[in-house]
Formats: sequence, structure tokens, C-alpha cells
Amino acid sequence: MYKFKEIQTIPPAKQLVDIVLSKTQRKTPTVVHPGFKITRIRAFYMRKVKFCQTTFNEKFTKMLEEFPKIDDIHPFYADLCNVLYDRDHYKLALGQVNATKKIVDNIAKDYVKMMKFADSLYKCKMLKRAAMGRMCTSVKKLTGSMSYLEEVRQHLGRLPAINPATRTLILTGYPNVGKSSFMNIVTQANVDVQPYAFTTKSLFVGHLDHNYVKWQVIDTPGILDHPLEDRNTIEMTAITALAHLPAAVLFFVDISEMCGYPIPIQVALFHSIKPLFRNRPLLIILNKTDLRKLSELSPEDRALIDSMADADHGGAAVQFFETSCASKDGVDAALTKGCELLLDRRVEQKVKSGKADSLRNRLHVTNMTAPVNRPPCIPSSVAQQKGGDGNTAEQEQHEKLERERMEELGGAGVYSVDLWRRALLEDTSWKYDVVPEIMDGHNVIDFVDPDIDKKLEMLEREEAMLMAETSLGDDEEVLKKWKHTQGFLDELHSKMRQRRIERKLAKSRNGNPVTRKKMKKGSEVEKELNEKGLDGAKVRGRSVSKGRKDRDSSILGKRKRDATENGEDQGRAESAARMRSVSRMKGLPTEKAANDVEKVRRKRMKLREKDGRKGEGDKWVPDWKPKHLYSGKRGIGKTDRR
Amino acid sequence: MAIRAAFESSNEVGVFARLTNAYCLVALGGSENFYSVFEAELAKHIPVVHSTIGGTRIVGRLCVGNRHGLLVPSITTDQEITHLRNNLPDGVKVQKVEERLSALGNCIACNDYVALVHTDLDRETEEVIADVLKVDVFRATIAQNVLVGSYCVLTNQGGLVHARTPMQDMEELSQLIQVPLTAGTVNRGSDIVGAGVVANDWTAFCGMDTTATEVGVIESIFKLQSASAGMQSALIDTMM
Repeated sequence: MYKFKEIQTIPPAKQLVDIVLSKTQRKTPTVVHPGFKITRIRAFYMRKVKFCQTTFNEKFTKMLEEFPKIDDIHPFYADLCNVLYDRDHYKLALGQVNATKKIVDNIAKDYVKMMKFADSLYKCKMLKRAAMGRMCTSVKKLTGSMSYLEEVRQHLGRLPAINPATRTLILTGYPNVGKSSFMNIVTQANVDVQPYAFTTKSLFVGHLDHNYVKWQVIDTPGILDHPLEDRNTIEMTAITALAHLPAAVLFFVDISEMCGYPIPIQVALFHSIKPLFRNRPLLIILNKTDLRKLSELSPEDRALIDSMADADHGGAAVQFFETSCASKDGVDAALTKGCELLLDRRVEQKVKSGKADSLRNRLHVTNMTAPVNRPPCIPSSVAQQKGGDGNTAEQEQHEKLERERMEELGGAGVYSVDLWRRALLEDTSWKYDVVPEIMDGHNVIDFVDPDIDKKLEMLEREEAMLMAETSLGDDEEVLKKWKHTQGFLDELHSKMRQRRIERKLAKSRNGNPVTRKKMKKGSEVEKELNEKGLDGAKVRGRSVSKGRKDRDSSILGKRKRDATENGEDQGRAESAARMRSVSRMKGLPTEKAANDVEKVRRKRMKLREKDGRKGEGDKWVPDWKPKHLYSGKRGIGKTDRR
Repeated sequence: MAIRAAFESSNEVGVFARLTNAYCLVALGGSENFYSVFEAELAKHIPVVHSTIGGTRIVGRLCVGNRHGLLVPSITTDQEITHLRNNLPDGVKVQKVEERLSALGNCIACNDYVALVHTDLDRETEEVIADVLKVDVFRATIAQNVLVGSYCVLTNQGGLVHARTPMQDMEELSQLIQVPLTAGTVNRGSDIVGAGVVANDWTAFCGMDTTATEVGVIESIFKLQSASAGMQSALIDTMM
């Protein structure tokens, strides 16, 4: 039905302002500088104003959506709201909320427009302040409505869940006539019952099952007999229920007059609210008969009560029931009759509306009675049991149920049921006889060898002996064979390993050990150089010859000059070599030699290049993104290197 | 009285039990709770027999019977037939039927006098049904369904059929079977009444989910208690 319980709490206006402002502060950017472009500053403040407005708007919209609209809900609830919360007040409060919502929207619109013309941060800020201030002021004006709505919300949530469309019985009458007691008897509602008037101050709902369907019983507060205008809120809730729910009405009259209201007054009330019972099944419950019987009444009172029967309401006669909630006499009869009358009326309406046609086959029972020659077959023991139901002696010595046996002997999953226990055989001793097992028309037992176990045992023994015999002789031979095979296997495995390593080496070049050539001996180098027309001895340098040659002259420097002077090499001194282009010749004597060297170098390099080693000549940038160029403050529009 | 029961948390009592006026077959389950529901109600009057058919527990769907006999499908083993013969009263004939449609419970609905059968059933099977169960056999459909056993429950006092059966069909079927029929549901709106209810002339068992209104319909159509006048109005009021 209606979800009155799910309306969200309404905060007081002041708190709402706090909530919205702090949300605005939290959810929008907070840093702005006067140095920013003015468009950016404007956007910053506009966002704040707009955010604040949207938040208010959301809160108010939710409120307006959740509260029931009095014009849209069932008239019973609409009237109940009118009685309890005052329709005008309620509508006004919601209207104010709606108006404030619009005001807040307009304020935001105006100030955002004005902000477009602000030309400094200061002006923007002041406009924002003004906008928010005005919004909050208008919201603070809602203080009264909001607290009222919160009260309404709390009360609505506690209203009983009355379904106005379902089958309902309404209990009504003067205060203290036993309506609540009746309610407690027929339902589990457990309503408070006290010996004073107006114990029940609001509507209470109870439920009961009767005639295969559920019924709703509504206990109403008592009603006093005075004009409608003078009725208080408590009485009016009862009137509302009577006026709008298409229910059966149980009008209670306390014929013992213990409630403090004499019968004439109670009957007068009946006559004054009679119009409310029109077109509803009406039962008059003459209650508290345990204190005074209907027959004990004075003739005047009796006449008054009979006068209620003439009440004209839709043609049906008024039903009287004498009940006593103390002794529970007549309660059931009244209830049954009430339910029956209401159900008949509802069904009549539904059938009239044509809804029943689609279900006609479900309600139809074919008009056929079983012929006499086809009687039902019910064992005589069943009829006996049904006839003498209270056969306690037989019930006591009832046979143990299979379930009880199961529980005694280990419970489900452990207990194995005895399938033959109830077998109906001529001789009960046959029950547990072994049943021949027939398969394809043959008795299985015919094909069973009784000595099969013994034979099997003998066979097994024989087999074991044979095994022992064979395992004695050929130990060595087996070992030899095994070794032979093992040798093969080893060889195979080593080949496989080798293949694996080779494949692994062939697969990747990186990380392979680089095979280095054997170092050349000094003498070989010398020889090679001499062949190329260079001075090989120079290479030997300090290694051997120098030490030995100069040993005698090592004490004095510049010995060589002296030697030349001594006439070992008397000719003209070697002229200084002409400066050649170093780049072309690479310091080599002939161009050919230089080319050769270049060729060799290229060849060597090829190997090195294959290795892909990092070399000095490679391009190397120490840091592609140096930190100092990528962090810190930036000027406007300068995101590249500064 | 209609009694609510559940076989290992399944509401389809008609699948796991077969109830007639002379005996009751109940599936052999892991626990005796389901069996004991039947045992407590019936054991004083008729044998309640634990059984399997072809090693399965769906005895209610595989076999069909009345107080004269019991038909079991070709998958039934010899031991199972022996067990049934030993446990059923002497008057009940147990007969194995070589029929292509082995779920006899789904294909045949019967009381002690009439049987409705699947339209494609063999002629031989039809004869066996007539001989063993001593019934008049009619080929019929219920609400355009050939599985008459699934969509209808019959006793000598009344019958419950699929909820969508047209009134015209119901009248015709009623003429054949010579008992009052009504359309209804079980287990909170299930149309498969054959699986939801088992009934005989004095008692019925239905699934645990069956509502009070459904129980009311079952009790009144099978005449398990005197029908109350408010039944029909309650039905109209709840269903609309």
C-alpha cells in the first residue's frame, strides 16, 4: 500500500542550512587566486552558487515526493490526515517548501547572471556570499513548516497499516463498551483494555483467518453523541474509518450500562451516526450480557433497542447479537455473521462488475453425482474412527510410527527401514525368508557354486606357490638385462640433454659467452709488423729487449745521441716525417695499410655489433625526464621545458 | 481432511506416493518423515508400503492403480514386484505392463470405476488396464494436455482438473467419469494437480505450499468434509 514508514527524516531548517553549506564547501574546489584569469574566477564562484542551489533543490524535491499528496491517496487516508494533521496546515507546509525551492532556484539564477559581469575576484566573492546568504535566509524561514513536517512524518510512520481495499470489520460504539475486549478475543492484536473511557485513542488493526481468507479488524476509539463539529480528533479518526472503509460495521451497545452511558444515550448515538452505516453490513452487538441479559431490560429500553432495527440502510435487515466478552458467549456467532454479510456484499459487487467471468471455470463444479452403483469405497474402520472420534484408549496404544523408530535407532541416514515388517503373508514366519532372485527367467541360485570360495582360495594358494618358484631362478639374468637397458637409457638421456643445451644456445644470442681468440705472442706480433714494414721491435718495447739492451746505459740518459755520435749510424739524421692527413691515413705509413686496417676494423666491429654491446660511441641521454624540468610551478600556457 | 506433506523438501507429494482406497505406495527415502505422515493417517485402515519402481523413487508417476489392482511399468524389477505382491492385500493384482510410455502415473488417471488414458497408449495396454483395474477406459485430454495423470486427480467422489480446463470440457469429462469435477490449483498456484495432491475416498495429501483456499477446494471436491457455503465467495474475493 502506502509507504509512510519510508519517508526520510526532515532536519530542522537551521541544520539543513548547515548541511547544505558544508556540503558545498566539501564538494567544490577551494583554491582561487586573484592572478587567475577572470573567466576562471567567475567559473569558480558560479559553481559554488549553483552547487548550493542544486543541493537545496534535491532536498526539497525529495521531501515533496515522499510526503503523500492528500489529493492522490485513498480518501480514508486523506481524511485521516485531515483529522490528525489538519489538511490546510499540511498543504501549506508542503506549499511553503515548494515555494522556497523556487525562491532558491531564482536567487541562484539571478546571481549567476550577475556574476557574469563581475570583473574581479573580490566582486565575484561578494556576489557568491550574497547569493548563499539569501538562499539560507529563505530556507531559515521554513523553520516552522519543517518541524511540523517532521512531526507529521513521525506520526505517519506509526499509523497502523490499514489496507482500505481488503475485507474489514470495524468495531464502533460508545467509549468503554467492550470494543477492544472483542478485538482481543477475535484477533491476536493485544490491544490495551482498561476500565475507563477513551482507553483506545487511535485506530488499531488486528488480523484473523476466517472462511479460508484473511480479515482485518479495526478497533476504533469510542464516539460520544454530539454534533460533528464538536467532535475531537480521537472521535474523528473513528468517524473517518466508518465513513471511508467499505467494511462490515459492528456497533457495540453496552446493555449493562456499566460503561456509564445509559441505553437511551447509546441508542441516540446510533441514530445520529446512522448515515455512516449506509450500504454497509451492520451488526448490533449487545455486549456485556454476563452482567445483564437482554431479557432483564426494562420495556422502555427494550423498545429503544428494537428501534435500531428499523434503521434503513440499503434494504438489509439489522442483525442483533448478544455477546459477552468476559464469557466469550456469542462472539463467534457475531463474527461469523459479520464476515458472511460482508463477503456476500463484496462478491455481489465483483460479480456485478463482470470481473468474475474470467474465473468462472475455477468456480464451476460440474453438476454430477456419482451413480448409486458406483459407491465410494471407504473401509469400515474409517467410518468407525470418524463416528467415535474420542476413542482415547485406542489412540493411546497406537503402534509406533516408523519415524519414531527411526529417531530411536539413530535418526535419518543411519536407520535402515525394515521393508518386510508389514508383509501380508499366510505365515508370518515367512517374512524374512530369502527370496529367490530371478534373472532372465532363471533362478540365480541355480548358477551359484556353493564351493566357490574354497576353490578360489585353492587357486590363489597355487598361484602364490608358482610365483615363488619362478622368482627364485632368474635373478642374475634379470639384473643383467636391467643393466643393459639402463645403459641404453643413460646414453639416450645424455643425448637428449646435449640436444637440449644446443637448442638453448642456438635460440638466444644475448648472454652467450663470447668466445675469445687466443692471445698472440709478442714474437708473433713483432714478426707480423716487420712483414708490414713497421718496426716490430718497438712493440716489444719494454717487455724483453729494452731491458736487456739498455742495461748497461740505463744509468745515464740520452745515451742514444752519444751512440750516434759514436758513429754507429753516421748518415744524415732521419728527417722528420711529413705531416700527413691523420684522418685519412690514421697514422699509418701507406694508404693501402690504412685501408687494410679499416677493413680489419670493420670486420672486427661486425662481431662486436653482433654482440650488441653498449659502447662509448652510442648515443646516451642520462635522464629523459629530468625532475627539475617537470615539476614546480608553471606559467600560463608553458607546459614544455622551461 | 487434507493433510499437507513434503518429501525431502519437495512439494510434489503425488510424485513420491500413490494412494488408492486399498493401499498406499510411498517412496523409499532418506528419512521416514514423509512415510510417517501417511502411516499415521492410513496404517490402521490400509497397508502403507515402502517401494521403489525400477530403482527410482518416483513411484507416484511410474505406477497407477486402484483398489482392484496395480499396474507397474516395464522397468520394474522382479524383486520389486515380489515385494509389492507380498505387501499388498490379496485382492489387489499386480501387473507389469510392457508399454512404451513407461510413466504410467502421468498417462493414466483412474478411480475404482473409470480410467482416463493418454491418447497414444497401446491397445494392449488399454485392455490390461480394463482387465486388471476393472475400469471403463476412455482416451482423453485435459485442457489440451495428453498427460491426463499429471493434470487430473480422481476419486470415486470427485475430481480435480487443471485450472485452465474450459467449463465445456469439464462437463464432458464429468459425463464420462460420472463424478463431479472442478478446476483448481495446488502448491500456491501450480497447475500440475496430479503431482501436488494424492487423494482417496476419505483422505487426501497435498504439498506443503498449498494455501488454505486450495485446501478448501480439495476438501470440498473430494468430499472429505461437509462443504461450507462461504467457499465460493472466498474464492471469488481472493482471486479478484
